[in-house]
Amino acid sequence: MIKNRTPLPASPSSAKRLALSACSGLVLFLGLAALLATSAAAAVPGLVVRDNPDDRGEAILVEWDGEAAGDSVRVERAESEAGPWVMRRALPGSAARFVDQGEGGPERGKTYFYRVNGQVLSATPTAQWWNKGRTNLFLILALYLGLIMVFLNIARKGGSLFIRKIAGLDAMEEAIGRATEMGKPVLYVPGIDDANNIQTIYSMAILNSVAKMVAQYDTELIVPLAKAFVLPLAEETVRSGYMDVGRPDSFRADNIRFLSDEQFAFTAAVNGIMLREKPAANLFLGSFFAESLVLAETGFTTGAIQIAGTANIHQLPFFVVACDYTMIGEEFFATSAYLSREPMLVGTLKGGDMMKLVIMVFLVVAAIAATMGHSEAFRSLLVIR
Amino acid sequence: MSEGKELRSILATDCGSTTTKAILIEKQGDSYRLVVRGEAPTTVEAPFEDVTKGVLNAIMEVEELAGRKLLDGDKIIVPQNGTEGVDAYLSTSSAGGGLQMMVTGVVKSMTGESAERAALGAGAIVMDIVASNDRRLPHEKIRRIRDLRPDMILLSGGIDGGTKTHVVELAEIIAAADPRPRLGSSYDLPVIYAGNQDAIPEIEERLGGKTSLEVTENIRPVMERENLMPARHKIHDLFMEHVMAQAPGYKKLMSWTGYQTNSGWTSAPIMPTPAAVGNIIQTIAKQEGIQVVGVDIGGATTDVFSVFQDVFNRTVSANLGMSYSVSNVLAEAGLPNVMRWVPFDMDESELRNRIKNKMIRPTTIPQSLEELIIEQAISREALRLAFEQHKALAVGLKGVQQERTISDTFEQSSSGETLIDLLGLDLLVGSGGVLSHAPRRIQSVLMMLDAFLPEGVTQLAVDSIFMMPQLGVLAEVNERAATDVFVADCLIRLGTAVAPIGKGKEGQTALKATIQLPSGAQHVEVPFGSMVRLPLAVGETANATFEPQGKLDLGSGPGKSLQTELVGGVGGIFLDCRGRRPFEIPTDPASRIRKLTEWSDALEVYPKEHATASA
Repeated sequence: MIKNRTPLPASPSSAKRLALSACSGLVLFLGLAALLATSAAAAVPGLVVRDNPDDRGEAILVEWDGEAAGDSVRVERAESEAGPWVMRRALPGSAARFVDQGEGGPERGKTYFYRVNGQVLSATPTAQWWNKGRTNLFLILALYLGLIMVFLNIARKGGSLFIRKIAGLDAMEEAIGRATEMGKPVLYVPGIDDANNIQTIYSMAILNSVAKMVAQYDTELIVPLAKAFVLPLAEETVRSGYMDVGRPDSFRADNIRFLSDEQFAFTAAVNGIMLREKPAANLFLGSFFAESLVLAETGFTTGAIQIAGTANIHQLPFFVVACDYTMIGEEFFATSAYLSREPMLVGTLKGGDMMKLVIMVFLVVAAIAATMGHSEAFRSLLVIR
Repeated sequence: MSEGKELRSILATDCGSTTTKAILIEKQGDSYRLVVRGEAPTTVEAPFEDVTKGVLNAIMEVEELAGRKLLDGDKIIVPQNGTEGVDAYLSTSSAGGGLQMMVTGVVKSMTGESAERAALGAGAIVMDIVASNDRRLPHEKIRRIRDLRPDMILLSGGIDGGTKTHVVELAEIIAAADPRPRLGSSYDLPVIYAGNQDAIPEIEERLGGKTSLEVTENIRPVMERENLMPARHKIHDLFMEHVMAQAPGYKKLMSWTGYQTNSGWTSAPIMPTPAAVGNIIQTIAKQEGIQVVGVDIGGATTDVFSVFQDVFNRTVSANLGMSYSVSNVLAEAGLPNVMRWVPFDMDESELRNRIKNKMIRPTTIPQSLEELIIEQAISREALRLAFEQHKALAVGLKGVQQERTISDTFEQSSSGETLIDLLGLDLLVGSGGVLSHAPRRIQSVLMMLDAFLPEGVTQLAVDSIFMMPQLGVLAEVNERAATDVFVADCLIRLGTAVAPIGKGKEGQTALKATIQLPSGAQHVEVPFGSMVRLPLAVGETANATFEPQGKLDLGSGPGKSLQTELVGGVGGIFLDCRGRRPFEIPTDPASRIRKLTEWSDALEVYPKEHATASA
């Protein structure tokens, strides 16, 4: 920044000093002249100052020809052409662009002047309705929603949507049937996570279907819980299941039991139920951790049919070896649609599956293209600005 | 089984709904052989209302054909005295609709299914299964029991020490229905209780006074095991005591049946016809250590019997038959499925009219080749559907705990899978008019191949004159005599089919075979989508090496060769490379007709001019 300087008052006692001052002034003048001459010579080629596109109007884009620019570029900003100028950034000439935004950045709708190595241009930041840099994201979302809508529509119109056979879910009725024939209860453990965990939420949806089946078979259902917040949720879920099949009188609130939120105290208590009440069917569906093997092994020794399902993949091996049927990962999330066959759930499931298929195909094609040296086209499709 | 004394001659009758069939078996040298067969109309209904009259008429025909005296007035001469009389007289019966039962269970797919298997295995037709989870309200179940009026009810449910409330509830439903038996009004309906033994006092309390209650062992004492035989024996006993005793003339007939032992004359029970057929199939499977499927296609019903892994199963498809039920076959299979077996163009309405005509005139037989082809097309679908139903019931037990390893992570087989393993099937036996009386035996071969789609190496046979029921009841008394006649006179060996599993490219070599025929070694290459027939007469065998090409599999693994011995028959050997899993017939009419004609010509099923004749 250049400031006006007032000459120092001459000292009456020293002519030599005056002469020195005059020399200094000359040097300064020459220096300034040289500087101005240099500035004029370093005028930034290809300089453009404009509103930064695809944003909410709080940035201005300064661009120049990076190859032709000098070693350094100084970007100053003022609210009027006369200044005062505020230094925004000094950049190497090769940088080619600077987005003036963030702290101290421009305000929407206000005109700003930019002096770049002395060359002054102005621009006004404005907001855009459409961020073209995220059109790809929009298209992916539109495709996803479109697929869901299509399958939802098919499901609502009664079209047949194939869901592959999941042995564990088919066995659910078998497990409850076994409990009925044996005159023993069904044990349903919805994991040990809280009500805000997605697996617990899905588990509640499955519990509703299980409660309906149990009510139809007129057998007993025990639901031990590790989180107090899940208790009212589970209680209401089971109650509504019994009511849906017209057996509200068979519902027993005492069988929905909060045991402990301590992981192994809960595990010990559930083991106690398994050993004392000998349920003929144990269903472990939800979020499980280290207690999984302890629960499943105990259930196996009591001779129960056991069905497990969790998205915690680190627990799957334990469930697989100790349970009759295990739903792995995505299968667990497909359960509620599979069991209820409600159009809304089935349509969403199919739409999601189809989107996964699209992504898989894209990845395969992109991988092949990258291998053949054509990765740029695919990469640019995925860049989100 | 007969003790000590050897039976020299056996007379056996099967009293069917329309015909009573009698056979005479004699011991000739070391083995038993069929001598003659006679038949006469069944006389169980008005105006005669005495089943023995039809039996005597059939025996009189046997007397005439055999040239030996068997009757003394209205009595069968027993035991054999010189050339007169026989050492055993046995009978089966399906007259009056056979044994019609209802069964109950707590869970339909568990004790309900076990009860169904027990009843079907005893030769009954199961009219309905009442279960706690069948989603019907109690009053609907009560009305159903009253409407159906079964001959007998098998009440089961719960394992021993299991649920009591559900079983007692079922007993209360039966008590509330207060059902009356179909035949006769002077006796209480027989109810067999074969459920949770802990619930017996409660069951007796509820049903003891209202029905003729019989208690037997639980058909499902634990979830892991069925115990069907005590219930089946009880069904046979009650069938004799209650149902047969009420049918006209059966008391007299029951007094005739028996056989000679060292200790004198021993009476023998009359068996339900299907139970007897099941009995002979079980006997053969046990004796030869093979897996067998048998089918009897009738006018109104189709029975399928199977023995796999030593487990016997029988199903009755009550609405699949070739005359009374022929319209139902069309309804269930659908017109396109019937049409796919017809090797010429045909108007849809014309086919419908022909089928309806067969229904309203059930005793007619095809008068032209075209009619024969249509009838055999329908029979393929009837057999296919009956076999599908059989596969659905012949399953492992449901509700059984499984043991897993980590290798099961991605493939977890479920319990209750079908026991029918076509690759392991050794012998397929067909019976019933359309199969036994086909103008050319090779037509029976193709019908069975098309309907059952046997895989790997399978022997085919038909029952020559439908004497399996008589042999089944004979097997109870003298197993050797029954099997001797079954092998020598009953079965007509059609030959052996070789069918690789998998899909190949039309026209490309699917199977290379080297067969040591009696006439010399023969090398054959069969293209995919084709059939080849080679001669191998009855009683002859041939060693063969098969090399399935590509991923086709004959049971040794995809593309792996198989060495086996082939058994001959009236048809010979059939190399069927039309593909299995899936088996496909072209859908466009021109290609379909071309393929069907090609297969027919390869096996010489119909006269070659049939296409032009039909057109």
